[in-house]
Amino acid sequence: MNSVHDLGGMDGLGPIVHEADEPVFHAEWERRVFALTLAMGFYGAWNIDSSRHARERTPAAEYLSSSYYEIWLSGLERLLDETGLLTRAEVDARIATLRAGAV
Amino acid sequence: MPTLAAKETPALLRKGGSTRVAVDVPASFAPGERVVVRNLNPLGHTRAPRYIRCKTGTIASDHGVFIFPDSHAHGKGPKPQHVYSVRFTAREVWGDEASPHDAIYIDLWDDYLDQA
Amino acid sequence: MSKHRHTEPLSDLVLRVKALESLLVEKGLVDPAALDVLIDTYENKVGPRNGAQVVARAWTDAGYKARLLSDAGAAIAELGFTGRQGEDMVVVENTPKVHNLTVCTLCSCYPWPVLGLPPVWYKSAPYRSRAVRDPRGVLREFGTELPEDVEIRVWDSTAELRYLVLPERPAGTETLGEDELAALVTRDAMIGVVKVTVPT
Repeated sequence: MNSVHDLGGMDGLGPIVHEADEPVFHAEWERRVFALTLAMGFYGAWNIDSSRHARERTPAAEYLSSSYYEIWLSGLERLLDETGLLTRAEVDARIATLRAGAV
Repeated sequence: MPTLAAKETPALLRKGGSTRVAVDVPASFAPGERVVVRNLNPLGHTRAPRYIRCKTGTIASDHGVFIFPDSHAHGKGPKPQHVYSVRFTAREVWGDEASPHDAIYIDLWDDYLDQA
Repeated sequence: MSKHRHTEPLSDLVLRVKALESLLVEKGLVDPAALDVLIDTYENKVGPRNGAQVVARAWTDAGYKARLLSDAGAAIAELGFTGRQGEDMVVVENTPKVHNLTVCTLCSCYPWPVLGLPPVWYKSAPYRSRAVRDPRGVLREFGTELPEDVEIRVWDSTAELRYLVLPERPAGTETLGEDELAALVTRDAMIGVVKVTVPT
């Protein structure tokens, strides 16, 4: 698809920001998203090409303003919902519960 | 489809999941041949970036036969085919302002290419 | 791409991830112990020290270097480095006349078994967009200036081949052993944004 993930040759995206001695993960949630994505990849409900395409289907403006693991999260949520393994409604309900401090 | 267990994880990670396919599929092109990237614009998944479409390059090498992501991503089967390393000069891709010395090497599936 | 989203506070992101993980565990789709192994592997066990060993071996053993350039996967496996996102390896050699740079413009493909997980800048929109278009400008941002007549080859990892740059061995290292040489080889040199230098 001709979307914004296809970045080769695009201009105006700014300087390359590099952090010296950066950690592998910048936050605990990144560790979790990384591991959940790989674990669900091994589960076998989808293949790596489908998982890349799921990330690519992150809406364009969201893609460009997201950090790397936010895009992974977006892709994983999309795949889980589309395969019926875990719907967005279920996740939203759990978020509401967590926010209410009930868990 | 079993849940990934901790005990099996290190071995699975070390094994990986190559998408190389051991089938004898004929190659359309050989190293040294000139090819042009098709004007493909699928709504679905592809690994042919826009910057390389319709550009002319040279087959640098043949990596062998692999799963085709454009079909595989959509449950339409692996369609195994040759993947080539194709060399494009910087000027071919970006115009005369680009360096006369530099080049882009990009891995492209047989279905992305036509004879130039 | 910015580190923090503009519309969603960080705590909402954390909640989203907690919700996801708790539900996946409850449904038996993921095993928390497996998650720990995955994290530990790539946070602590696999990293660029692996690739540095490959490079140092190639610098000191001509036979190994020849095997590395003709069948990278097999040669890298000789040192025990195999696996996910490195199943089909290609090593590209820097020379005085040719400098190689690797990128994945479409996502972030990277040779995990030899380099670990990629740094944020490699996965970012500025690098992915400019590496193929202005490699000299990109190298300059990393402090690397190459003569104009050097050929820069930019390798875009669009398929499942994963690329590792074999940097040039710097002058003045003739007396160094393999371990000392490996210590000089940085991740950035194996991506191709810098050369290997000897600290003065």
